Formats: sequence, C-alpha cells, structure tokens
Amino acid sequence: MTFQLLLQLVINGLIIGTLYGVVGMCFVLIYKASQVVNFAQGEFLLIGAWTCWWLLTYWQIPFFWGFLFSLAFMMLFGLALQILVLRPLIGEPVISVIMVTIGLSIFFQALMKWMFGTFAQPFPPVFSVTKVDILGLQVQTAYLMSTGVSLAIMAGFAWFFKYSRMGLAMRATAFNQQVAQSLGISVRQVFALSWGISAAVSAVAGVVVGIVNGVSAALSFFGIKVFPAVILGGLDSVLGAVVGGLIIGVLENVAHYFDSQFLHWGNLYEIVPFYVLIIILMIRPYGLFGTRDIERV
Amino acid sequence: MAAESMRPCGDFRTTYRADQTIFATRLTFAFLLAGIVLLALAPLFLSSYHLSLLIQMGYLGIAALGLNILVGFSGQISIGHAVFFGFGGFASVFLAEHGVPVPIAIVLAGLWTTAVGLLFGLPATRVKGLYLAIATLAAQFILQDFFVRAAWFTGGTAGAVAAPFTILGFDMSGDQRYFYVVLVFVVVMYLFAANLMRTRDGRALIAVRDHYLSAEMMGVNLAKYRTMAFGISSFYAGIGGALYAHYIGYMSVEGLDILFSIQFLAMIIIGGLGSIMGSMLGTIFMVLLPELTGALASALQGSAIDQMLHLKDGITYMREMLIGAVIILFLMFEPDGLAHRWRQIKAYWKLYPFSY
Amino acid sequence: MKKIALSLVSALALASAAPAMAQTINIGHLADYSGGTSDVGQPYGQGVQDTIAWINKNGGVNGKQINSDFNEYGYQVPRALAAFKKWIGTDKVVAIQGWGTADTEALVAMVTKEEIPYYSGSYSASLTDPKGRVNERSERAAPFNFFYGPSYSDAARAMVQWAADDWKAKGGQGKPKWVHMGANHPYPNSPKAAAEAYAKELGFDVLDPVTFALTPGDYTAQCLTLKQSGANYAYLGNTAGSNISVLKACETAGVKVQFLGNVWGMGEEAMKAAGSAANGVVFPVRTAVTWSGSAPGMTTFKDISKMSDPSGNAYRSVHYMAAVCTVMYMKEAVDWADKNGGVTGVKIRDGMYQKANWVPKGTDGVCNPSTWTATDHRPTTKVDLYRSVVKGPTDAPLADLVKNGTIALEKVATIDLPRKTELQGW
Repeated sequence: MTFQLLLQLVINGLIIGTLYGVVGMCFVLIYKASQVVNFAQGEFLLIGAWTCWWLLTYWQIPFFWGFLFSLAFMMLFGLALQILVLRPLIGEPVISVIMVTIGLSIFFQALMKWMFGTFAQPFPPVFSVTKVDILGLQVQTAYLMSTGVSLAIMAGFAWFFKYSRMGLAMRATAFNQQVAQSLGISVRQVFALSWGISAAVSAVAGVVVGIVNGVSAALSFFGIKVFPAVILGGLDSVLGAVVGGLIIGVLENVAHYFDSQFLHWGNLYEIVPFYVLIIILMIRPYGLFGTRDIERV
Repeated sequence: MAAESMRPCGDFRTTYRADQTIFATRLTFAFLLAGIVLLALAPLFLSSYHLSLLIQMGYLGIAALGLNILVGFSGQISIGHAVFFGFGGFASVFLAEHGVPVPIAIVLAGLWTTAVGLLFGLPATRVKGLYLAIATLAAQFILQDFFVRAAWFTGGTAGAVAAPFTILGFDMSGDQRYFYVVLVFVVVMYLFAANLMRTRDGRALIAVRDHYLSAEMMGVNLAKYRTMAFGISSFYAGIGGALYAHYIGYMSVEGLDILFSIQFLAMIIIGGLGSIMGSMLGTIFMVLLPELTGALASALQGSAIDQMLHLKDGITYMREMLIGAVIILFLMFEPDGLAHRWRQIKAYWKLYPFSY
Repeated sequence: MKKIALSLVSALALASAAPAMAQTINIGHLADYSGGTSDVGQPYGQGVQDTIAWINKNGGVNGKQINSDFNEYGYQVPRALAAFKKWIGTDKVVAIQGWGTADTEALVAMVTKEEIPYYSGSYSASLTDPKGRVNERSERAAPFNFFYGPSYSDAARAMVQWAADDWKAKGGQGKPKWVHMGANHPYPNSPKAAAEAYAKELGFDVLDPVTFALTPGDYTAQCLTLKQSGANYAYLGNTAGSNISVLKACETAGVKVQFLGNVWGMGEEAMKAAGSAANGVVFPVRTAVTWSGSAPGMTTFKDISKMSDPSGNAYRSVHYMAAVCTVMYMKEAVDWADKNGGVTGVKIRDGMYQKANWVPKGTDGVCNPSTWTATDHRPTTKVDLYRSVVKGPTDAPLADLVKNGTIALEKVATIDLPRKTELQGW
C-alpha cells in the first residue's frame, strides 16, 4: 500500500516536474539569450491563461483554436515587451533590469485583476474525459496534455537550437554577443525572439494550470516556484532546467511521502526543495548542468 | 565607483586622509548637522501621520542600508532580506520578554541576527552571482517556515507582543517620542556604515565586488569577506526589524514574505547601489510612492474624470499599476538610481554656469 | 538627504490636509483589492463602501454624513500602518473598518492605545477577549476590536460538532478521523488548536495535519496521503484560491472525505471556480440567509447593492453580506454614541455594549443576533452551517448559475455552542 503510494507520488512528481521544466526552460531561454533574470515569468503564465480563458468564455471559440490564438498573442506580447521596455535597457546594470521585471510583474498583476476580477475563474470543460488512470494514479487529462505538449516543445527546442538558423544564431549570441554581432547576427532580433518564444511557451503552462485549478492572480506564483528548478539544473542550461524541474517535482512529492508516513514534521513538501537546493549548490556551485567558469588565483 | 567620476575637474586629492574622509567639506558636515537638527525638531510640527512615515523610513532605511552593503558594496544579491528583518524583530521581542531592557535587546537582536546571517551566508563561500541569489531565496522560505514552527521564540502563528521602548523607566513609545529613538539609530547606523567603507574591511568588500580575482590576488580573503558582508547586512536588517517590532508593539510572521524582500531590493536599486545616501533616498521613494499614488487615487475618486470613464474600483488598480510603472520608467531613465541623479545635480550647480 | 525627506513630507502635508467638516463622522476604511487576499477582500470592501454610501444617502447617522476615507493597502502591513497614522493624525477618525489578519493583528496595540474601535474581517478568537487573560489560553487583550460573525475557532468547533453528529447519523463505526489541512501560517492555524482539542473531546481520532501552501498549485500528493490516512473529516484552513486546488486535486484522486471549509475559504465564487469538486463541502455562513434567500431585511440589502450596481442584477456573495452587517452594527453604535455624549471611539465602543442579542435596524432575518459585552467580544456562538451544491459546469456568470440552480447553498445545521469562558480567546 505505502509502496504503491510512493510510486503514485513519483509519477505525479514527474508530471508536475515536466511543467516546472517547461517554465524553467522559458526562464533559461531569456537568461541565456539576453542575460535578464525575469521576475515577470509568472505573469506570462497568468496573462496567457487569462487570454485563453477570455477567448473560450466570451467568444466561445473551440479550445484548440483558442489555445493557438493565445500562444500567438503571447508571442507578440513577448516581442512587444522586449522591444518597448527591455530594449532601451540594454547595457544597463543587470540588477536594474531585474528590478524592471519586478516592476512589470507589479504592473501586470494589477492590470489582470482590474480586467478579469480578483476571483479565480474556471475554464469551460475542455476535455470530455477529465481523468486518466496511470498505474493506479488518477491524472487530470490537462496534465497529460501538458506533458505531451511539453515533451513536444522540448523536442522542438532541441531541434531548433541544433539545426535551425535562428536557433544557432541564438546560441551564438548566448555564447558571445559581440562576436555574434560581428558575424552578422542581429542580436536585437535574437533578444526579441527569445522573449517572444519564452512568453508563448510559458502560456502553455499557464493554460494547463488554469484548466486544473482555475485562473487567478495567484497563478503567477509559479514563476517563483521554478527558481529552485532552474538553479538546480544550472542557469544557462536548457536541458538542466528540464532535469531540474523533474527533480524538484519528484522531490516535493517524495518529501511529502516521508513527511506523512514517517516524520510528521509537516510542510516538508514546500521546504525540502530549498534545503536540497542549498546542499547541491554547496557541492556544485553552478548547478548540475551549468557552465562552470574555471578561475584560479 | 561612480562617485569618483562625478568629481569636478580640478578636485585633486593629495593625501589618503582626504580621500577617505566622510564629509568632503566642512559645508557638507554643517549641512548634515543642520539636517539632523531640523529633523529633531520635526515632532514639534508634524502630525503623527507624517512622523510615522519618517519612522518607517527610518527603520526600513536601516535595513535597506544593510542590503546595500551586501548587494551594492560586496556585489552579492539577496532576495531574502525580509526574513532577517523579521528575525531581528522576533529576537528583540524574545529578549525583552526575558527581562532584557528594550534598548539593549534591540542591539543584541542585531547581533543575534548577524549570527543567523553568517550561517545563511555560508553558501557564499562557494556560490556566487545569481546562484547565490537563489540560495538566499532558500533562506527566505526556510526562515519563514522556522518562524511558524518555533513557537517558543516567535509565539508561533499567533505572533508575539512586543514590550514598549523604555529608557531607565521613561516610556519612549508613541510617534513623537519613538521618532527620536529611530533618529538616533539611523544616525549611528549610517555613520557606522560610512565609516566602515573607509576601513580596510570596507575597501576589501568593494574590491571583492569590483573584481574578486584581483582582490584575492591582492590578499583579500574572499570567503571571509563574502560571509562578512552577509553578517553586516543581517545586523542592519536585525536592528531595523527590532525597531519595527517595538514601534508596532507586535511581531508576526505575516508580511515577512518574498514581496517584502523584493521591496528592500527595490529601495536600494532605485536609491542607487553602492551608495550609502542612496539607501535612504530609495527608502524614502518606496515609502512615499504608495502614499502619493494613494493621495492621487483618492483625489481622483469621484472627480469628473472618474465619472466620465466609470473607473470606480479601477482607480485602486490603476494605483497599483502606477507603482509598477513608476519603477519601470524610473529605471529606464535613471538606471543608476537616485544617488546618481543627486550627484549630477550637485555637479551641475558646482560647475554652473560653465558646465562642460 | 534628510532635507529632501523633510521637504517631500511637508509637501505631502499640504497636499493631504483634508478640510474637516463639522457635521461629518470620519471613519477609515482599509481594503485589499490588489494584494494576496483580494479575492475575498474585493467583495467585502465593496460591501463596506456600498453600505456607507447607502447610509449617507438615507440621511446618514442622525443627520450626520459618514466621511469614509477609502485606503487600498494591497495586504501590506507598512501601508496599513501609514493609513492608520494618517487617520488618527490628520483625519481624526472615530472608527475604522479594517480588513484581514495582517493589518488587524499589527494594529491591535495601536487601536487600543488610541481608543478607536476597529471593525475587521479577521475573526481570530484572540480578538474576542477585551480584558486579556480571561483564561490561560488567551494571550492578550483587544478591547477595541470588533467583528461580526462567529470567531474562526467557534466556527471550527461548530463544524467538529456537526461532524460528530453527522458520523452518528450515518451510523459510522469506530472513531471518526479528523484532520486539519492548511498552510503553516497565522490564518489557517488560528482555529487549529481549538478544533483539534474539541475533536479529541468529542471522541475523534485527530490525525497529523496536512500542509499545503496558500497559493494554488498541484496538491495531488496531499490528496493521496489524505486518502491513504483514511480521514473522514478534513478541515480546509486556507483561503479560497488554494482550497480550490485541493478540492480539485482530491476529486481527481478520488478522495472520499467530507471537506469542511472556513468563512473565507468558501463561498459562491469559490464554488464557481472549483465546479463539481466543491460539491458537498460544508462551511459556516455568517448571515442567516444568502443573497437568493428571503427575509425582511433583504430589501435593505438589495437597496445597498444598488449603490454600486444600479441595475440590481448583481449577485452578492456571502462576503459582501457579512460586510454589510458589520457596517450596520457600527452605524448603530455610532448612532448611540451621538445621542449619548458625542461620537468618540470610546463611546462607539460603549454603543456596541448597549443591547443584547440585537440586529441593526433594517437587517432583520439577515444579520444574526449578536451580543458584545465589556468582557466578551464574541458576537455569537451560534453557527449556521451550509452545504455547497454544484450541479453541472460553472463557466457561466455567477448570477445565472445561482438563478438556474447550478450553484446553491443549502443549510445543514445551526450549531449552538455554549458560551463558555474557558473557550474564549483561543
């Protein structure tokens, strides 16, 4: 019985972990391309989810199209945000740019509350079957969809960065902006595109969490939840973000298992990832997959 | 540092003493003194609302200065400052409850918080940059959890009642009196920081920030100074938190969340990283921003614009959005903070009318 | 730098010096529309605003208009503090309509010192002891704090009582199992000790509490362990957003537990958001009827609602109604103070003590009869418990959902707890 519980928790952890991984990936994408730590990542989820919700409830658009429209909108939104707000800040101190993203987060939180109200709103029923049985664990169809979409996105990212021209340009920019520019890569385009892609992909996670829990301002807390995942994997590693997300997802669930079965300390679910984070950083200061600057004195 | 570059042409320094002085000229010293005297007279004129804003600026300003020493002077980002602020508050309340006179309890609470800060600064020996920032995020969550669990220390979820501030039996609570308590602490703590920055330790911190490899080559012990910065920063946070606790008369874990930590960051970034005066300017900015937008909002409430556009509740959201927008716009136009702008204004007048 | 502060502050002083009019009663209104508790803070704050507007429109208090200064503080203590100082320093308010746990707790010492009645949406039992130390569990005195409705602890005790009755009625065998669920945080923990102690007393097996954060997220893990622990009655201590997540996750995981909500953790809006997952949750409601119910006092409520919704079509949640009652009680106390020596904080407090088991004029059958005395600030120990009923999808507007019966609240019991001094203050 308890072993089965553990198994179910691990599966659940993997499913949620993929979601963390996707959001983490978006975070890393922005960081890698433009060296900005984006505190407004959670708001991307929020805005994406509200857009999709609005299309579905007010315009009664089928989910598939509504979903695609909101992704497209978020892509444009990300591009616009980069061009209007972040482009003028290129070359400014990193920490000022971080603060600007915090300002963006305050701004959009209030705007969303104004536009859509303060209360959580449910999505219209999207799937005819709401749950699926996996090894005895009842899983929401939305989560399965998210896992599927996430895996597809991850595969897409892998292809994009390995073979496509733009992807290579982005990697080159991440490696060295000046050299990339001297080779004819438009760094401005790369920056804008990274924000666009990041916003659109975050919206996927936003919509999924919205379907499961209802859309509300609190959704943006997801943006903070992925920090441990990203750091665990290494700030500048897309693969690391995915692995970090999976680890955090499983860790939360397993910690909860030991907490409820043996320790009874309470709240380990929330706290353990942070303890593990500190321990891992003490052993590997650049995360599991992060680029290590080797410096010797 | 930016300050050096803003010095007008022809202002050469020929001795180290001149380079290290806190007050560049006698006039600055006189101005500062006059400012403090003016402030000391403030309770005679100001209502308790304005005094309470000044008191808020005081205790938050002390904590913000601590964060600036960590972020601005040693180059390590922390997004867990609020819990150290909170720890100081709880520690002081706890000590006062166990018979320590409040003024001493506040100082001891600062030292106690220093110890905790050093503990959480340990990752700094190995981790740096954003990785370290996220390690401080861990401190945020771990300590927040600790506050709720440690009922013997914090009163648990119910919180703890703080003893009023008394000196030798003389009650210093109430805005008019408590203002002086905070003023004394602010002056002492700011002078201490200004002084620290011209000692070997202070300059070592700046060296670590500017180029840690060179610093280490010059014999600065990186691990020591990195953790030390955490210690000092926590000391300031602890003192600020303790002053807060005895002002409110109550300390609770509620409100010590990550948003509060981010507010501290906002204060120092807007004020100017690596500037002692900037910490205070930024705090003033962040304390007044919601008040001014609030005043604007209530002025707008029921006005012709409101009627025309049917804003109603929208005004409260517009106010929040304005807070976000002001932060964004401010940093787009002044990424180096208020302290930088202040120096530019000073330089402008110094060179007037022949600026070049 | 300090000079700048000073000049800024004095500029502010000029800007905010409000002219004090003779025939007005100044009060402060603190609300959260944009912060962490805005989901329930918004309807509650709207209720306060509408009621004050309605009172002013209908002749005010003895012909005096209420001048309410609205302050949105985003659930941030420093901003609440600044608002409070402004109110006592500049506006000279005689009473305050406050909001949540954060501001109420932070201001207890100050409102006591300034002698200003503080009406809040925080119903923590620690606010019900005006003298302090009424028993060894009561931590401190809160002589100027008032709220309307059962305290968090009494509401939780009532649900324990109901659970015990329900267990008997269903013919359950053995000891029923009680579990407290919620974040490790002041709000969810406020009634925890009271409920667990009472559950033990009534023969429950009290399990280890299950923690989940105050923000929505995935709580499948919590639901799986809840299922495995075999709990029968689970108390959801958080505010609505995260409770919804738990209800949904537990529905998916197939957990068959009787969930019990709390006053701020459930309501029509939360039912709409949670959909079928909220079906069957039992929770306390502060008014005798809900918006679709009928009672003599409902006409007043409908009138008040028209202050911000002239069409009269809006559906108002339980939080809005509780706010109306709170303001109406304050109004009567101000009225008494005005007739008995002038409107001051102390007089308003005394005004609250004048009657026993009373309802404000015009709210009969809606606001529950309440009593405040100089030694006991528990308004009532009688708790109405409702069950939420959700049939079908809930993506239509709330008013329609209630009208066509998709969402309904049905009364399951009224629990009359004994008013014992041992149970006061915790």
